[in-house]
Amino acid sequence: MSTVGGLEHPIDPLADAPPEGWVAGRSPWALAGHKLVRNRMAMAALAVFLGIVVVSFMGPFYADHIAHTDPFTSQLTATTVINGKRVDVLQQGGGVLKLGETPIGPTWQRNYFLGADSQGRDVAARVLYGGRTSLTIGIGSAVICSLLAVIVGMVAGFYGGVTDSIISRGLDVVWAFPVYLLAISIATVLLTQGLTIGPFSISASSLWLPTLIIAVIYVPYVARPVRGAVLSVREKEFIEAAIAQGASNRRLIFNEILPNVITVLIVLLPLMIATTILTESALSYLSIGVQPPNASWGTIINDGQQLLYTRPWVAIAPGIMIVLTVLSLNVFGDGVRDALDPRAKLRVKD
Amino acid sequence: MQHARRRGLMASACLVLLVGVLAGCGGSSSSSSGGSSGSGGSTTGHMGGTMVLAWNGIGSSIDPAVDYDQNWTLLNMIYDGLVTWKKVGGSDGNTLVPDLAQQIPQATDGGKIYVFHLRPGVMYSDGTAVKASDFLRAIEREFTVPGPVGSFYQGIVGGDACAKTPKSCDLSKGIVADDAAGTVTFHLTAPDPDFLQKLALPFGYAVPSNTPDKEVGPSNPLPATGPYMIDHYTPNQEILLVRNPKFHEWSKDAQPQGYPDKIDIRLSLTSEAEVTMVEHGQADWMYDQPPSDRLNEIATQYTNQVHLNPVPQVYHMALNTRVAPFDNVKVRQAVNYATDRAAIIKAWGGPQVATPTCQILPPDFPGYAAYCPYTTSPGDGKWHGPDMAKAQQLVAASGTKGQKVAVICTPDEASKAVCLYFVSLLKQLGYDSSIKVLSAAVEYPYVQDSSNKAQISFSYWYPDYPSGADWFDVVVGCNGFHPNSSASANLSEFCDPTIQKMTEKAIQTSVTDQAAANQMWSQVDKATTDQAPWVSLFLPKHIDFVSARVGNYIFDPNVLVGGILIDQAWVK
Amino acid sequence: MLTFVIRRMIATVFVVFTITVLVFLIFFHTPGVDPARKLAGRNPSPETIKAIKHQYGLDRPLPVQYLILMKKLFITRDLTSYSNQGQKVMPEIVAATPVTLSLVLGAAVIWVVVSIIMGVAAAVLRGTIFDPMLMVLALIGISMPVFWLGEMANLITQDRYHDTFLFSWVPPLGYTPLTQDPVMWFKHLVIPWLVLSVLYIGLYARVLRADLLETENEDYVRTARAKGLSERRVLLRHTLRTSMISFVSLFGLDFGVLVGGGALLVEVVFGLPGVGLLTYQSLISLDLPVIMATVIYGAIFIVIANAVVDVGYAWLDPRVRPA
Repeated sequence: MSTVGGLEHPIDPLADAPPEGWVAGRSPWALAGHKLVRNRMAMAALAVFLGIVVVSFMGPFYADHIAHTDPFTSQLTATTVINGKRVDVLQQGGGVLKLGETPIGPTWQRNYFLGADSQGRDVAARVLYGGRTSLTIGIGSAVICSLLAVIVGMVAGFYGGVTDSIISRGLDVVWAFPVYLLAISIATVLLTQGLTIGPFSISASSLWLPTLIIAVIYVPYVARPVRGAVLSVREKEFIEAAIAQGASNRRLIFNEILPNVITVLIVLLPLMIATTILTESALSYLSIGVQPPNASWGTIINDGQQLLYTRPWVAIAPGIMIVLTVLSLNVFGDGVRDALDPRAKLRVKD
Repeated sequence: MQHARRRGLMASACLVLLVGVLAGCGGSSSSSSGGSSGSGGSTTGHMGGTMVLAWNGIGSSIDPAVDYDQNWTLLNMIYDGLVTWKKVGGSDGNTLVPDLAQQIPQATDGGKIYVFHLRPGVMYSDGTAVKASDFLRAIEREFTVPGPVGSFYQGIVGGDACAKTPKSCDLSKGIVADDAAGTVTFHLTAPDPDFLQKLALPFGYAVPSNTPDKEVGPSNPLPATGPYMIDHYTPNQEILLVRNPKFHEWSKDAQPQGYPDKIDIRLSLTSEAEVTMVEHGQADWMYDQPPSDRLNEIATQYTNQVHLNPVPQVYHMALNTRVAPFDNVKVRQAVNYATDRAAIIKAWGGPQVATPTCQILPPDFPGYAAYCPYTTSPGDGKWHGPDMAKAQQLVAASGTKGQKVAVICTPDEASKAVCLYFVSLLKQLGYDSSIKVLSAAVEYPYVQDSSNKAQISFSYWYPDYPSGADWFDVVVGCNGFHPNSSASANLSEFCDPTIQKMTEKAIQTSVTDQAAANQMWSQVDKATTDQAPWVSLFLPKHIDFVSARVGNYIFDPNVLVGGILIDQAWVK
Repeated sequence: MLTFVIRRMIATVFVVFTITVLVFLIFFHTPGVDPARKLAGRNPSPETIKAIKHQYGLDRPLPVQYLILMKKLFITRDLTSYSNQGQKVMPEIVAATPVTLSLVLGAAVIWVVVSIIMGVAAAVLRGTIFDPMLMVLALIGISMPVFWLGEMANLITQDRYHDTFLFSWVPPLGYTPLTQDPVMWFKHLVIPWLVLSVLYIGLYARVLRADLLETENEDYVRTARAKGLSERRVLLRHTLRTSMISFVSLFGLDFGVLVGGGALLVEVVFGLPGVGLLTYQSLISLDLPVIMATVIYGAIFIVIANAVVDVGYAWLDPRVRPA
């Protein structure tokens, strides 16, 4: 066994393989993993989240085989059977004047379980499809954001000096822009014509637009902790020693800096996804996120606004889905943080 | 005119509180034709009070030269022009009567000269007298400020030069104003049968002759000639109208004294809030149409406070006749046959709120003759139901199946509902259709610009004055199409030489014989409908929801009001 | 210290300037958007559009247009809106600011008080069931989309339970200035205050609790305990004070964002004509001058809040100052 004191075999901290006779302890990752698994609340939250994901992606199955409906075509003159009677999905108002057309409310049966929206579409089926969209955008933008932030943060932290200054000022500018306003600005502009950069073009109704917009606006919030992680590693004494010994950049990056950065990312990721889902729903609610014919939880809440006082379930159901998803992500994120780095910050936007 | 009134838009709810028209008393009898003023008798008891209005925002100007429809109901009570439309209910509300002029003149010199004699003794609210040169200033400002409809007055001598170089606009040769004699003489380059109607629009309202060429802002409005004046305007919060102390009623038909003492217009409210306010009596009237989810509620619980009236507004899908697949008349007719107008009306709020149509002109319009070829069992001019078989035949014959079509609309719920219906319908007919939602600020200029090649979009047309020319020479006529410009009201880019000849003949005829011209307009309507530049959908009913205390509800159909005659309503 | 302050101020100005350029480019250069067309109103003639283009300087090169805009905004202060023609932009923002301030200040009072109570309670009651209960409540608060919560509040207070004694006092959506009718002002704002504060109560309670627990392990706290101070003294005098530093700095940042227009979702849902709603409406209608003005207003607030917090932090904690 090697000791630091009277060295028989001096320890090379950057060696790829442990020296002979070294007893392998558990790696920090394994330790964290075990701690996480033992956290019952976090595991329950993870189960809820995965359950929501599975159910949402079963949307097409539900629409085709259970509800027998197409939630994306206009169903203004559709009829359905409730308790044996055939009724209009959009029903004319009553009284003397007979004003207005009101969609049917929840039937709590296979067809129109949660009722219809103002175009006669099945709300339950749309909520499931909406979940697909919201989750895809939420997870996708969080992942893209993390990738971008890692690049930006690592370049800034690693090279320091002028590069760091420029990047940090750039991040400051994006940071100073109120997040929603920045998102709204970009979305308003891009939604007119779509985005065309050189050979790449994204149409205005593609889901890539909100995904990229949300990914970009949160880059500073992730890049800062990443940069911080890089800097904190750089300043550690043994790194100075390693550099003095002639360790290459690549080694430093992969063996020391990257694990630190990845820890930061893993802790942030669940919170990030929670934040991106909330942001996407807000943008869609304002009509500048997901565009028709696609639906997301936010767009359905927007649809439900027109029906809030007559058919509130159109607005209530997607909101409940969002709350459950974000809550489970937050609880799970807390568990991950407790396991890996209890001293990490509690929110993305610090 | 387009996009004037919108149904409950989410974020734009302005409350306009119309301060109750004050009941003025003691107006002297005017010398206008047919007008009899009278305060006194059983109506005096209703003078007074503050009328509270909920408006969805002053989204446009309070400068009469600039505002295009949004504030016309207000401007109508504050300012006056040489002529105006009668402020009464029923179809008589579209009759022209003299306002600041003593009489409506007959055009002389083959229809090119109009001489107006000013009514003496009319003052602005700041004490200065209304002069003949005030009208010269008003029309010049339409070019210099500039306002949106300089083209309306380009027929005046000197108008072309003003259009070219507005800064040096000088219409003194075309509008000869004699302040001493109190006469205003208009010289036109060619007879214009709609000229008087154009003068009745707020663009022709009198403004003091020292009014500058800059647009007037809300903090310093122009002095009033009508029964009300602007007391103050707090942006996005409130406008307060109070009685104009210098007003005396000179013509009950043209500009009657108002009943409420104050009109308080509250801004920046949502349609939902407006409905609740009227229900609880906190507002007397709401400018916005009630949102569709409250229609049943107000109809069943506040039945007596809901008033429905038809307006000459035609909602339609504009088909671009120069872009595939709608450049093929068979396809356009096919879509017309296939459209289930009853379903669209359902999306709009039900058959009590809208009536279906297949043609261009609205009912009760001069020249209207019921005509609907795009239905099952055609022949009686009414729409009965869609004819899907015929539609599919036509599509097959056109050979355009499978082509891509983008249906364009704005993000509000009703618009999206209609467009999604058409996306489904086009898919059914065999096209690769999709929806394209553009924000309200972008959509209308976008679909007007022919370089965007918009194929089909949801649109409406509300005529500026009751004449067939406003339809067939503007929104579906050659003169309304300006290629590659975002100011081209003819969205269908429709220009048929034969029909254009018929239109010109009708315009010419109406100078001398309105009845014969109306016959011709019917023919133009039929011919145009057969060419199907539009899928005409429906005419909405205008819904006025008033509070329980409002009495004397009068629906004034003319374009300036298009709804309740605010200052004639009683709040006491 | 002074150099630090000056450096921060220079950085602030630089950031705001960059934001104005970015906003200008984003909106003035948008394909499909022609400000002159928009200004010309409905159905103008092509000549009208040309005249307006010239009058507003929209046919000049982009940098010139930018300078004209900045001049109108800051120097001559007569910048007018493109949608509300003739309406000056500054008075619009000035009229909207008290609304936002009313909303944010009221909500801030509520969230600060409640989150401190919750955070302290959770830390003190660690080990009992109340700690996780409070934290789950906080988590739920964070997980609700604020606009949805507002809609639900409207559903309950405006419609479903409006006729009961609980909510019959709730006025229709809108705003009444404090100077006009204080009671009505209060009634309009109570529900929006509660809705806005829910999110921040959750966030701050959690942050405070975590900070309190972390500081508890610091040496100086152990010393205080060793010296025989009571738990409550330790908590209030020592741990709470230290945790308040980061609490206050976070508060400064969030307050800046909200006053700068970040409360727009609440303003939209409750129909409050504040700066957030004004910004959103101007963005949707592409009313470029108002967009510029509101975004700059918002950015300035946030950047200043950032700078004040940084300077304050440095002043409070000498370790943070750069060498």
